Amino acid sequence: MKRSFLYCCLITAAIAPGPNYAASEPGSLREQLKASPFKIVYESYVNDNWELFLMNADGSEPVNLTHTPKEHELYPQVSPDGAKICFVSDRGEGRETIRSLYYMDSDGKNRKKVTDSAREPFWGPDSKTIGYLPQEYSKFNVIDYSTKGMTFYDLATGQSQPHPNSGNLHHLYNPCFAPNGKWIAATVHAGMGVDHAILLIEAHGNKIINLKIPGCRPCLSPDGKQIAWGPGDHEIAAAPIDLDSEEPKVGQKRVRILDEKLKIYHVDWSPDSQFLSISRGPESEGDLSKPGTHHAACEIVGVYAKDWNLCAVSAQRDGVLDLNTAAAGDFLMLTTNRCSNKESAWIRPPRKEKE
Amino acid sequence: MARMTFRLAVSVALALFSSCSRTGSDAPAETQPDTTRGSFSAAITEPAEIVTKSGVEMVFIPDGEFVMGSDKGNPDEAPAHKVKLGSFLIDQYEVTHEMFAKAQLPNPSHWQDHPKKPVERVRWRDAKLYCNERSLLEGLQPCYDEKTQGLVCNFEAGGYRLPTEAEWEYACRAGASGEYDFGPANKLREHSWFEENAQERTHPVGQKKPNRWGLHDMYGNVSEWCEDVYSPAYYKNSPSQDPRGPAAVGKDTKSTLRGGSWKSSANMCRATFRQGQRTGDADACFYTDFCGFRCVRRMAAEGLPKLRSQLKP
Repeated sequence: MKRSFLYCCLITAAIAPGPNYAASEPGSLREQLKASPFKIVYESYVNDNWELFLMNADGSEPVNLTHTPKEHELYPQVSPDGAKICFVSDRGEGRETIRSLYYMDSDGKNRKKVTDSAREPFWGPDSKTIGYLPQEYSKFNVIDYSTKGMTFYDLATGQSQPHPNSGNLHHLYNPCFAPNGKWIAATVHAGMGVDHAILLIEAHGNKIINLKIPGCRPCLSPDGKQIAWGPGDHEIAAAPIDLDSEEPKVGQKRVRILDEKLKIYHVDWSPDSQFLSISRGPESEGDLSKPGTHHAACEIVGVYAKDWNLCAVSAQRDGVLDLNTAAAGDFLMLTTNRCSNKESAWIRPPRKEKE
Repeated sequence: MARMTFRLAVSVALALFSSCSRTGSDAPAETQPDTTRGSFSAAITEPAEIVTKSGVEMVFIPDGEFVMGSDKGNPDEAPAHKVKLGSFLIDQYEVTHEMFAKAQLPNPSHWQDHPKKPVERVRWRDAKLYCNERSLLEGLQPCYDEKTQGLVCNFEAGGYRLPTEAEWEYACRAGASGEYDFGPANKLREHSWFEENAQERTHPVGQKKPNRWGLHDMYGNVSEWCEDVYSPAYYKNSPSQDPRGPAAVGKDTKSTLRGGSWKSSANMCRATFRQGQRTGDADACFYTDFCGFRCVRRMAAEGLPKLRSQLKP
């Protein structure tokens, strides 16, 4: 008992609040993001349709990138070089839905199809490969872990090949490549002999490491030094991780973002690893009166999330940030239209080719 | 089990014979397979095991009346009251991993080490989706409207659905009036996987003795979703004919689970024990690893002639 008390004290001390987050003034989060060269792409449900929008890092000037009233674009992922966006596109309704994979330039042009009946694309660190998870069954199911195997698509050749351990990869979701190219972080639910876990999967081999951090939806920082994830419906955490090690381990939580009232999900790192974007909104099970949406937990891709918006926080300071008590300057609402805004992904402005 | 099957087969055969007799000169000859079909509906008065078109073993439960609930159990089990039910088919076993896979649904179960283990961690919604998938596999009209938020049930449709609480309890009691159909609680180990013998896990279905109507694992292994929304006070004013549970009330609606599970005490395995459980429909990961289910299908008189060809050999 004494030992567990001591342990609790140590944990509490480790995650105790750091200095107060900056107020809304010069140098504040808003000002920092306003000055940022980055942009953010995200999914939003407008005019009975899922579309991808692009906005500045402070949430200003949102622009519809897709404009496809007959297709539903979701789950945007940005290539590390900032040049391209891959995403899923749904056609049809209910069990007849066909979920396909596409990529396009980050300005929305040159859309190209990768494959059908696949989901959860993720970029290789060289921006030349898209990984994805084939659907478990031909029949559509909105549940995110309805996947079997893993495949890599080569943009240059248009050819796909399975991950070397693809046959043993089952019920993964939300995969993310490590910047060093050695690992893929993903969640597994009821598969691979695991109840539920966040795994590191060797990118070009068979090794699988259970990171033993409760929760889901890992996101590795572009500097390769941190992992962010959702330990529960109402928390986002970030902690150090040594991805160059042969047995990477996650350190103690450095940042904890809490919201006891609303769900917070879908964390993504800014390209400089200094900021985090998050989806935030109330619990619900979708709204089937809206075309192209499904019935399940509203954080799942394709489920309408009533009143959900995006916000950003700084990842530079250690400590706990409670979104319900935080000062206005400590976090920034990036969207306010409550149009089921989810799955944000930051964009580094692509480098221009030398003339 | 073999004795049970034999007894049922004999009773059905006897019933068929007697009904043939009643039809007199209009009755076709016994040597022709189709001859008794017209009179089968009148004849089948005992529970009978069948195999469905997609290969699922079910038990036909004839219409009847029983006393539902208990005045000696928990407050939500009272008052004991008479209920009349139409005939129906009910799965002989809990829905297993291999059945879920056949319906092309992602298996959410915690224990995935045996294809004949019951699925668990199943949301209420997913159980209903399974029912619809199985209906479609057999060319039946699905009961659940997937375009409605709570998957509203059409009880008149011919497909599969979750049992109502009344159907579940009627099938579990199997004509008995006590806490268990087999008699005293000290025999529960022979009929059920529960906390005293399950070793904190599920087990392949059908390993324990069935109840008197041939249904396995009604008392344990996994608790089973019913169609009814849970209301502790429902028995005070439920209808006496085919009760279907109260209307859903708001966001925190609970649904009813019946039967014990691998983690239940003997008390929770009683035929009248009721549990309200959040549906899990708003949870991305539903960790309630004792929630499973089995399906039923209404079987009105006009459907009975087809049953003969599906009788379990």
